[in-house]
Amino acid sequence: MPGGSKKIPVKEGLWTVPSSPHEKPQLIGSRCHLCGEVFFPKKASGMCTHCQSKNLEEIKLSRNGKVYSFTVVMQRPPEYYKGPVPYAEGFVELPEGVRVETLFTECNFDDLKVGMDVEMVIERLHEDEEGSEIMVFKFRPVTPS
Amino acid sequence: MRRLREVVIAGVGLTRFDIYDGEKGHVFKEGYELGMEAVLNALQEADMEWKHIQAAFCGTVYQNTGSGHQAVDQIGMTGIPIVNVENACSSGASAFRLAYQSIATELYDIVLAFGYEKMPRGFIKSTAWPIWQRQMGFNVQPANYAKGAIRYMEETGATEEDFARVTVKNRKNGVLNPYARFQKEVSMEEVLSSRMVAKPMRLLHCCPLADGGAAIILCSKDKLKLKGKVITVAASILNSGVYGSETGGTGTTYGGGSVRIHEDLVELSAKQAWEMSGYGPEDMDVVEAYDTMAPGELWDIEKLGFCKKGEAPGLLQEGALDINGRLPVNTDGGLMSRGHPLGATASAQIIEIYKQLRGEAGLRQVPIDPKIGLAHSMGAGPNSAITILKR
Repeated sequence: MPGGSKKIPVKEGLWTVPSSPHEKPQLIGSRCHLCGEVFFPKKASGMCTHCQSKNLEEIKLSRNGKVYSFTVVMQRPPEYYKGPVPYAEGFVELPEGVRVETLFTECNFDDLKVGMDVEMVIERLHEDEEGSEIMVFKFRPVTPS
Repeated sequence: MRRLREVVIAGVGLTRFDIYDGEKGHVFKEGYELGMEAVLNALQEADMEWKHIQAAFCGTVYQNTGSGHQAVDQIGMTGIPIVNVENACSSGASAFRLAYQSIATELYDIVLAFGYEKMPRGFIKSTAWPIWQRQMGFNVQPANYAKGAIRYMEETGATEEDFARVTVKNRKNGVLNPYARFQKEVSMEEVLSSRMVAKPMRLLHCCPLADGGAAIILCSKDKLKLKGKVITVAASILNSGVYGSETGGTGTTYGGGSVRIHEDLVELSAKQAWEMSGYGPEDMDVVEAYDTMAPGELWDIEKLGFCKKGEAPGLLQEGALDINGRLPVNTDGGLMSRGHPLGATASAQIIEIYKQLRGEAGLRQVPIDPKIGLAHSMGAGPNSAITILKR
């Protein structure tokens, strides 16, 4: 991949990596067979933290949702975060009912609204010391067309 | 619950909450010295000697291993158990509960609960998130309250001005508290023109940091030496999270699920506190609510059951939450004026209720001769702690 830098996900297993250009990445969650509760990210314990059943299945979550809440952080966090400042982050509620905490992208900060339709994309957060791109999921407004 | 023995407050001690870094005219003190100073003040008020203390619980968050031991080592190791409690901003109240229960269940008669902190500067390093979420910038505390504030505004119609009024009221009360870091009023204009930290939270919607110590000695009634009004612990509640609750109104669902369950953490603590004490919200004469960020005080008042959701801004605006109002809240200036030494904050809240009930709150004494009061603290994790004192 000449000229292209290495892309490293901020954490493995948060989203699917499409095998063909026709597919789009999706967040990976889990659903409890017993009570129906849905989680993101999937539970490391393999256990439903609502009913303690061990009967969880991995599921691909919807790529579209609505903004539940948001904020625009104006000051650099004390450590770890190496992306641009200010940045917008918040919760997106997916049709499955789960609320995903996420960064927002491709939006004018002043236009962010509760209830706004958004879709998930995989984007660069920052570049690490070796020049690799650290990739994260973000949500962006669905442009009306 | 089994029958519990009555537990009373034997004495309390505070340091002034301030910056102790030795710079810009500030005195330098080590964190453990602040803890030690608070403990010695409490011993003096209790008219007790150190050898009377049978166990000690110490709340800190950002101090070193054995933080309680370091403070006690300046007074004397006597073979008693010292247990260090880290429960984020509820650490002091968690230490208090451990002391309370060890006397109530008759394991000990006289126990020390204290907390101290010498705070790192800048945004509080919230380490209660996995590394990848910190890399994504989710661990900024004002931002978490900001997300709760956006929801609160959406659901109740509250405004930035309502949040600013919390700061203005509490900073006004703080003028009357010689132990507060800030003893100076701020205006609505100053709050609303302070710099934006995390929309819609501005700098003066956030409590300031501070260093400080706070200590409470608890005992069985037969061991009490303190003169004056006797203050009894009517309830001591700690809840560390409940599935599906949006803690602190931040929208964070601990459990991370699809949130069809809505048992709120603070409402659960309140329910248990009313059950344990036999009182209800209408019985409270003075309240310390959790105002780490200005809107927090509003939804705290509502979740504790003092009014319905969305009504707190109106109560605040009409003066009901003022020192001479019908429900005085954060009479000592709250976190907004005291500042926030994490391990000491929740202890200081309990101390303010104690002082008000004894009639020893000085210029900020509520005029109605308060007999029962409540202190509530939150903490990352999450934690929610309620203490009800009565006389």
